[in-house]
Amino acid sequence: MKKSLFDQGYLDEQFYQLEELQDEVSPNFVEEVVTLFFRDSTRLVTNIDQALEKRPQDFRKLDACMHQLKVSASSIGAAKMKNECTSFKEFCGKESLEGCIRSFQKLKKEHSTLRTKLENYFQLLRQVGPVEKAVRSGK
Amino acid sequence: MLEFAHLKTDPSRAASTLGNSGGQPPEFPAGLRVLLVDDDATCLKILAKMLRKCLYDVTTCSQAAVALSILRQKKGWFDLVLSDVYMPDMDGFKLLEHIGLEMDLPVIMMSSDDHKDVVMKGITHGACDYIIKPVRMESLRNIWQHVVRKKRNELKELENSGSLEESDRRKAADEGDNASSASVGNGKSEKRQRGEGKDEDEEDVLDEHEDHSHTKKPRVVWSADLHQKFLTAVNQLGVDKAVPKKILEMMNVHGLTRENVASHLQKYRLYLRRVSTPQNQGFFDAHYTSSHEATYNSVGSNDGFNLHGLSVSSQHPPQSLAPIHSEQRIATSTGMGILAVDQLGFINSRIQVTGASNIISSSLQQMNNKPMSNLRGCSKNIELGQLGQSHQVAQPYGGINLQFGEGTSNFLTLPSSAPTSFSLPGGTISGQLSKSLSMHMTEHSHEEQFSMFQQSTLDITLPGQPQPRGQLLDEVASHNSRLASTLTEPAPPDDIANCIWGRLGTDANMLTSLPAKYMDAPYNRFPRSLYVGGQDGVVNRSAGGSCFDSFISTCNLKGTNNHVSDEHQSRSRNWKLQKVNLPYQSGQEVGLEQSTIDGHSSLMGHQGATNISAGTVTEEILLMKNKIDNERGSSSQHQRTNLVENSIRVNYEVSSDISYQNLHDELMKVVQGQKQDGFGRADADFNIQV
Repeated sequence: MKKSLFDQGYLDEQFYQLEELQDEVSPNFVEEVVTLFFRDSTRLVTNIDQALEKRPQDFRKLDACMHQLKVSASSIGAAKMKNECTSFKEFCGKESLEGCIRSFQKLKKEHSTLRTKLENYFQLLRQVGPVEKAVRSGK
Repeated sequence: MLEFAHLKTDPSRAASTLGNSGGQPPEFPAGLRVLLVDDDATCLKILAKMLRKCLYDVTTCSQAAVALSILRQKKGWFDLVLSDVYMPDMDGFKLLEHIGLEMDLPVIMMSSDDHKDVVMKGITHGACDYIIKPVRMESLRNIWQHVVRKKRNELKELENSGSLEESDRRKAADEGDNASSASVGNGKSEKRQRGEGKDEDEEDVLDEHEDHSHTKKPRVVWSADLHQKFLTAVNQLGVDKAVPKKILEMMNVHGLTRENVASHLQKYRLYLRRVSTPQNQGFFDAHYTSSHEATYNSVGSNDGFNLHGLSVSSQHPPQSLAPIHSEQRIATSTGMGILAVDQLGFINSRIQVTGASNIISSSLQQMNNKPMSNLRGCSKNIELGQLGQSHQVAQPYGGINLQFGEGTSNFLTLPSSAPTSFSLPGGTISGQLSKSLSMHMTEHSHEEQFSMFQQSTLDITLPGQPQPRGQLLDEVASHNSRLASTLTEPAPPDDIANCIWGRLGTDANMLTSLPAKYMDAPYNRFPRSLYVGGQDGVVNRSAGGSCFDSFISTCNLKGTNNHVSDEHQSRSRNWKLQKVNLPYQSGQEVGLEQSTIDGHSSLMGHQGATNISAGTVTEEILLMKNKIDNERGSSSQHQRTNLVENSIRVNYEVSSDISYQNLHDELMKVVQGQKQDGFGRADADFNIQV
């Protein structure tokens, strides 16, 4: 399943980095980070939503908010989200509200898609977990 | 030297600090102490984990202000700082500058923004390196190199400099040529530290030399006791007639040289002179506001400075002082702020004109650059003595800040120079108080003192009152003795003098040695200078208020109670003695004073500090109140002094079991009274934040 996530471009190499960080000390590191990410990013998305409705539009602020979201996304390897963030920022730079709104819709979609997929992924992991551990210790 | 010590001596670390390959685990750079600053929780978690995987010792925080305070509290503990660029509470570059100036730690910036100009900005602001997010483990594995490099550079510099100036230039040149970002960053940051203090090279040199004994003989720390002796000798001889040789003989201190005494005496005299000439204040004020901008800018993000601990309030226009009183500052800065103020005051009074701001900034820089040391304040004071040169002045200022800054962000906000107004009685007083306190504290115990100060020092955010500041600075001049000397000035002591006196007394029995006449001197002058432009409008009300708040906050101790307790205990005895010495006579305001005292007591009690410590705070508060009262414009200075004295006395007698609320109420009363008198201080300012 993970492979499909990567193949479809939802995740990138950074995610591998996260997995490498997982160890005995923090066995659920990746899941923790991802959970943290979605917690924060949901909040950020809401903020941007609200900001987008303001008139007149403050593109600098929008850009700053999006930057934050982008950094978060890239740090967990959420590739598609990151790309949408980049395009959103571009629209901000061009001060195209419509472009921003469109991009943002896509972003939100990616965001929730990723969340669902990762939730499934972790659930799978948990099911498979004990088996994996056994295998690993056997090595 | 330097931070590698912990790597070297820590048995868990390898012996070599230069990236050894030794076979003993854990080897350097394991255990490298990294401070990680990032507002994004996800990034923070990931990075922290990565760093720990590299076997580094990681401390995380999500706010730049918090990071600064941590760095200040644990000066010398961290090896490296890793900071995000875009943060909501403070620009990463600003933080970078602060760190470079204050702690001189290698800083690595991080951001997903990889635009060349942003990266360039990081380097020019002194970053050792710039890492693009998302960060990979590999990028973090090698960050220790920056620590090593920096240390080596510092070492080299120390060894090379007969004149720091030269080495600075040399180094800057060397570093500047270096293409690598790391070394450029290093050099630049070092250069910046020095460069910014270039004006005060003298200070730098002196400071550096003083810090590193291998280049100079150790400087004398004018502890409270020492200063007390000095004052005793001076008073016996008569200030005008006191000569260093005789003073030295009378002091009978082993190891003290005539030169030490001479320079100290010079400073003292300058202080006295400054204290007794109100016109200086206005002078300074004007100068300050005009020139500080330039000077401070050189220091780099002055605002940042002031806000975050440089506490050079003089730098900020009154309005800006308010932010200084922000929570963060209060929490973190204490004594330093006051000291800085004092120093500035000192400086101001001396320089009176142009040099002031320069001095201050230089001193600030000085301070920032130097690691904290109690002596620093002392040595700086000596510099002050040689005022006349902005550089020098600045240095002491800086030094003082450094000294007191340990563990406490620089609160020092110089009072504005409105001679007659004290927008913030509390602030003013606190500055003084804190100064004296810190001075005393420092003398007695470095850490404790600082913490003590921190607690009790008010963030003296007097808006640009050059004069008061000078005075404050003077006092703060990290020398208890200096303060004492100031106090013993036969010229009419300003409130500040009194305040300081009170403080000094507590700490080092200085009061006892103060001649009565000192107290008698009208202290209107001082308070005026001290108080931030209440009347003249120079000082912001808010600034004053905030000063007060900070003061109160400080008094209330944000967490430094234990320190205060320690300090107080040793001091309380002194206090009692000294208080009595204050030649305050009961005036009409006695009643008020009394209440003030109660308030103080309550404040003390509230803090939960020991009685002694409470007493200290109370005293400060009293002093403040006294000052405030003085500022009221009463012509009877003596009355005021009396009041102060009374209040002080009462203070002592009062145990610290009075409720905090009382104190607050009292203070509010004072403020109210002040307001009525036209000071227009914001009552709200008195909100004590415990």
